[in-house]
Amino acid sequence: MSGESASAIHRNQVDLVDFIDWSGVECLNQSTSHSVPNALKQGYREDDGLNLESDADEQLLIYIPFTQVIKLHSILIKGSEEEGPKTVKLYSNKEHMGFSNVNDYPPSDTVVLSPDSIKGKPVLLKYVKFQNVRSLTIFIEDNQSGSDITKVQKIALFGSTVETTDMKGLKKIEDHQH
Amino acid sequence: MVLEATMICIDNSEWMRNGDYIPSRFQAQSDAVNLICGAKTQANPENTVGILTMAGKGVRVLATPTSDLGKILACMHGLEMGGEANIAAGIQVAQLALKHRQNKHQQQRIIIFAGSPVKYDKKALETIGKKLKKNSVALDIVDFGEEDDEKPEKLEALLAAVNANDSSHIVHVPSSANALSDVLISTPVFTGDGEGGSGFVAAAAAAAASGGDTGFDFGVDPNIDPELALALRVSLEEERARQEAAAKRAAEESSRQEKGEEPSSNAEDATMEEHVNVTAPEDIKKVTEEMVSGSGHSGGDVEMSEASAEDQELALALQMSMQEGTSDQSVVSKVLEDQAFVASVLASLPGVDPNDPSVKDLIASLQSQSEASL
Repeated sequence: MSGESASAIHRNQVDLVDFIDWSGVECLNQSTSHSVPNALKQGYREDDGLNLESDADEQLLIYIPFTQVIKLHSILIKGSEEEGPKTVKLYSNKEHMGFSNVNDYPPSDTVVLSPDSIKGKPVLLKYVKFQNVRSLTIFIEDNQSGSDITKVQKIALFGSTVETTDMKGLKKIEDHQH
Repeated sequence: MVLEATMICIDNSEWMRNGDYIPSRFQAQSDAVNLICGAKTQANPENTVGILTMAGKGVRVLATPTSDLGKILACMHGLEMGGEANIAAGIQVAQLALKHRQNKHQQQRIIIFAGSPVKYDKKALETIGKKLKKNSVALDIVDFGEEDDEKPEKLEALLAAVNANDSSHIVHVPSSANALSDVLISTPVFTGDGEGGSGFVAAAAAAAASGGDTGFDFGVDPNIDPELALALRVSLEEERARQEAAAKRAAEESSRQEKGEEPSSNAEDATMEEHVNVTAPEDIKKVTEEMVSGSGHSGGDVEMSEASAEDQELALALQMSMQEGTSDQSVVSKVLEDQAFVASVLASLPGVDPNDPSVKDLIASLQSQSEASL
C-alpha cells in the first residue's frame, strides 16, 4: 500500500503547503514554545529538532484553512516512536471546533498511525470524503506510548486544487477594457 | 497591544453586601470592572469585553464580548445581589462565550472576581483549570472579601492548573484603606504581560497618583510606565552629574587663578574678582549656593573651603559675588574708575584691542555711568 501511495503522490498530487491560509491556522493545546509552525511550515517541518508539542495533556487540535478549495488525497505525519501521534481524526469544513465537541461530529476519516508510518510515510485517505475541502481540522487523540506529551515533527498534506474562478484575473481584464 | 477577548465574571452573591471595602464590596467591584473594561477596550481597538454574573438564580451572561464600552457599562447598572456564587459554572459559561467569539485571532481571557467562599474542592477546580489551559484560555483571579475555608489556596491551585507561559495572574486584595480599583491598577490584571500598560491605564494611574499619596518618585508608578520612570531617573542623574562637573570646573579655575596671582596688589585682586564674575558667574553662584546649603558634592566643596582658608581675599570676593546686584555693582564701578587698570585688563584679554574705537566708546560710557551713579 505504501508503494502504491507513494507513486500516486508522485503522479498527480502536490504538496498543499502553498495553499494554506496561515493567518487562520489555529492549534489548541499547543505548548507556546513548541507551536504549530514547527510541524507545518516549509523548512521548519523538515527539521526533526523542531517539534509541535502538546501542553496540558496528549491531545492536539489543529485547524487549517486553505486559500482555495482543495481535494485531499493523503497525509503524512512524522513523529518519534514513543511520543508521536497515534489516533488521528480528520474533519473537513468544520469550523469552531473545540475539544468539547470533537465527538459531536463523525470524523471524515480516522487514521491510526502504525510505528512504520510514523517515520514519515504518507497515508492514503478516503479520497471521496475530501473532494471539496475549504478547511481541515486535525484532531490528534492519543500518542504511541500513551504518555502525557505528544510531539509532532512534520505534517504534510498531499492533494490537488479544484479549478475555481480567479476573481483577481477577472478584474484585471475589466481594467484593460476601460 | 495584545488582541484579546475577555469575559469578566462578577460576584454578586450576598457576601458582597459587606462594607469592609469602600463603599461596599459590590460597589468597589463595579468600579474595578468599569476600569478594567476601559483599559481592555483601549489597549487595542479590536479588543472585546463581556460580562457575566456568577450568583443570583444562576450564571447569567449580561453582555457577550463586545468592543462597545457603553453597552458594557450599561449592563452593570441595576444588578441585584443574591444567592451564592458558582465559580465553576461561571468559568465554564465564560469559556463558552469566548469560544464563540467572532474574531478568532483574539486571545481568550477570563477575569474572575472571587469575593465569596469557594465551595468546590481543589481537585474540581484543577480539572476546570486544565480544561481552560487546553483550550488556551488565560485566567486572571481577583481574590478579595472572604478568606475562610482555604479560599486563597484553592484559587492558587486553580491558577497553577491554568497558567501557561505566565499569562495568567492572581491578585489578593485585603480590605484596606485603598480602593479595590487603585490596588488593581498596578497589577498584571491591568498592565498585561510586559506590555507596559496602555495609555488609558497610565492616565488613570497618574490621576490616582495625583489624587492620593502613592509615594512613587515623580508621581509615576514604575510598574505601570517603566520607560517614563527610567527616563525621569536618567534625566535626574544627568542633571546631577552636570552640576557636579560644573562645580568642579569652577573650583579648579578659581584655585588656578589663585596660584597665578598670589603676590598681587589690591587692585589685581579686584581684577580676579572681576575675572571670576565675567568668566563663570553661573558656576560660582552654584558653588557658593552649595557651600551655603551644605548639600554640595565633596569634590567642589573641599577645594573651595581650602581656597578660602588660604586666601581671605578670594573668600571675600566670593562672598561679594553672592550678594550680587547691590555691592557687586559698586565694586565694578569702582574698578572701572581706574582707567589705567581697565586698559590693562582689556589688553590682557585675548582678541580685544584696547585702542579699538568701539571699545574706547564703551569704556567712556561705562565711566560716565559709574560717575552718574556715584
